[in-house]
Amino acid sequence: MAVIQYREALNQAMSEEMERDDRVFLMGEEVAEYQGAYKVSQGMLDRFGARRIVDSPISENGFAGIGIGAAMVGLRPIIEFMTFSFSYVAFDQLVNNAANMRYMSGGQFSVPIVFRGNSGIAGNLGATHSHRPEALFSHFPGLKVMMPSTPADAKGMLKAAIRDDDPVIFIEHENLLGDKGEVPDDPDFVVPIGQADVKREGSDVTILTYSRSVMTSLKAADKLAEEDVSVEVVDLRTLRPLDMDTILASITKTNRCVFVEEDWYYCGIGAGVADRIYRAAFDELDAPIQRVAAKDAPIPYNRTLELDILPNVERVVEAVNSVLYR
Amino acid sequence: MPVEVTMAKLSPTMESGQLVKWNVKVGDPVKEGDVLAEIQTDKAVMPMESFDDGTVALLDVQEGDEVAVGQRVLVLAGKGEDPSQLAEQMKGGSAKAEAAPAEKKEEPVAAGAAAGTGAAPGAGAQGASGGPDYGHSTGSATNGQQGGNGNGAAAHGGRIRSSPLARKIAESKGIDLAQVDGSGPNGRIIRSDVEAFLQNRGAAPAAAPSGDGGAGTAPKMPVAASPARETRRVPHSRMRKTIAQRMLQAKQAAPEIHVTADIRMDQIVSLRERLNAQLSKQKVKLSVGDFVTKAVAMSLRAHPGLNATYEADHMVLHGQVNVGIAVALDGGLIVPVLPDADRLGLVEIRQGTLALAEAARGNTLTPQQMMGSTFTISNLGMYGVKQFDAILNMPEVGILAVGATEPRPVVEDGQLVAGQVMTVTLTADHRAVDGAMAAEFVRTLKGFLEEPASMLL
Repeated sequence: MAVIQYREALNQAMSEEMERDDRVFLMGEEVAEYQGAYKVSQGMLDRFGARRIVDSPISENGFAGIGIGAAMVGLRPIIEFMTFSFSYVAFDQLVNNAANMRYMSGGQFSVPIVFRGNSGIAGNLGATHSHRPEALFSHFPGLKVMMPSTPADAKGMLKAAIRDDDPVIFIEHENLLGDKGEVPDDPDFVVPIGQADVKREGSDVTILTYSRSVMTSLKAADKLAEEDVSVEVVDLRTLRPLDMDTILASITKTNRCVFVEEDWYYCGIGAGVADRIYRAAFDELDAPIQRVAAKDAPIPYNRTLELDILPNVERVVEAVNSVLYR
Repeated sequence: MPVEVTMAKLSPTMESGQLVKWNVKVGDPVKEGDVLAEIQTDKAVMPMESFDDGTVALLDVQEGDEVAVGQRVLVLAGKGEDPSQLAEQMKGGSAKAEAAPAEKKEEPVAAGAAAGTGAAPGAGAQGASGGPDYGHSTGSATNGQQGGNGNGAAAHGGRIRSSPLARKIAESKGIDLAQVDGSGPNGRIIRSDVEAFLQNRGAAPAAAPSGDGGAGTAPKMPVAASPARETRRVPHSRMRKTIAQRMLQAKQAAPEIHVTADIRMDQIVSLRERLNAQLSKQKVKLSVGDFVTKAVAMSLRAHPGLNATYEADHMVLHGQVNVGIAVALDGGLIVPVLPDADRLGLVEIRQGTLALAEAARGNTLTPQQMMGSTFTISNLGMYGVKQFDAILNMPEVGILAVGATEPRPVVEDGQLVAGQVMTVTLTADHRAVDGAMAAEFVRTLKGFLEEPASMLL
């Protein structure tokens, strides 16, 4: 297994799927000539040509719609939003057309499309470029939502998304793009949609998390291990549909849960997941579920304030201690 | 000015409390009214509020520690003071803590004499000294605030706080959560508490076989294995410990005298019927016990020596007649107080008693409702008990044990007739009450009950 970057893993996933299936193509701003604003599609124009690696103008509503139309007539588009904040311009296409098409057409049309791009609170990008749209898209029936945390997951999950016959919202994290990790070379390595992953085993408390917060949570778990607190870190990977089996197995083991997420607290992903845990495993809980999320404000440009708004190791440790009544 | 906060006396019988949870940590700013900690008393888990503003400089005790009343638990730094510097200076106790024994001396007055002296007539248990002492050195608290604390306890209610997991385990193992002490926030019972309880209980069945095998000989008769009815060991609740300690203390400290009398209750029985018929519209139903309470309160006014507290070098003769009414709970016994019982009408006595009993069973009694009784009535008549002796509710000098009112054969003018009879037994502290004095009190009581109209005189 090669050690490669998260962005290279995404590139590999798309390239391998385009090799495997010539219906797959990539479209978005700067994906071809400029090799991707974040260099995710580096080298793909040379390899697959301008028919399959398509530069689009700044017209999210338009090229998202074109992608949906293409998917309806048999192609398998990957639509890149340079940053996911821009997907809001195409919101109608995503939540009215892509999400509903199979249902509205009585099953006559499927929309095998992937909308991907990065999001998250990165470094000094200001309020409009620091969105975490996962809770928003997870709200809509008809959309699947995936958020990988490691390079291997990025590759395996994106391949699963491309192979899926329904629309998938695939959200990368800008601060993870340069992370390195071992990634399988096997062209059939896929991480199925709806499969969470136990990133660290533990027995005292479960941290449920996803995307970059997985890294924050793992660091917090290391710190807590020094105090003999055994933390299990579960990476949800797919936010919709949820892998309740893995979640419940962990909760049943530890009886305590902290949810760590980078999005805002109110109506965040953790709120929905906590609801499902309370309904499915109320009797397994020895303490209320605690949530660590971004503070309730637009994301500041100022670096100090930006860091303050983010969930961090200290806040995760504090939340774990509070569910342990320590 | 640094403020030293000491363990508060949150219930009349409290001598120490367990600090269940700190709500503040060193460096936290504290405002008046903030809850500093949760304290488990012998009755409930109660919040300990701050009466001052400041910054927490020093915590003297750890969560789970048992702390004597009056012992310092925390130091607040005042405005402009450096908390860490102050903590250095104040470490290792204080003059206040050393002074605690002196303060303690006065406690019996606070608990026993209670609402008596300073309070205006009618103020009852809300009187100045009736509220709990939170042990703050400023002592500027108002009664209004103290009432607020009482309500905090009420909010806790009779509900047992437990985690869903703890409930599940308890149910599957057949454990009554009321017997388990909770270590979570607000006394919430969590898994480890149930497991600890199980472990203690488990020790009992394990011990049984070793007893059988002790002699090492085969039993002479084959003994059929009996169906599993395990012998259980139930750890004492704090309330049980308190009751045990106080009962033992009363028996050891006070030489008791018992005076028993049979009282004809025919007039009370018929009066009760007539009054209840009148009161049916108001949905009030007087019990025989209400008449007894009224008569006892009137008798106490006539015999101040029984409405009293025995102290080492003097008697405290209380100005108010505050009747404590023993209420049986599932796990023990509690004595809420009906203040100024001698001034209350029968309907007020009924309503007051009902409210107290309900609050006692719901575990929502406020400290005020538990403090300041001057004499106690223990009534087991409703269980069909004919006669019994009660143990003193120290430091009171008398307690009246009341049996059932029932038809019994009586001799009237040389003739055997059926009459309604009730037997009462006064237990008195013979250090303070002599036999004749006790007998006179019982005679007065008997007179009031046998001729109820005399209570109007």
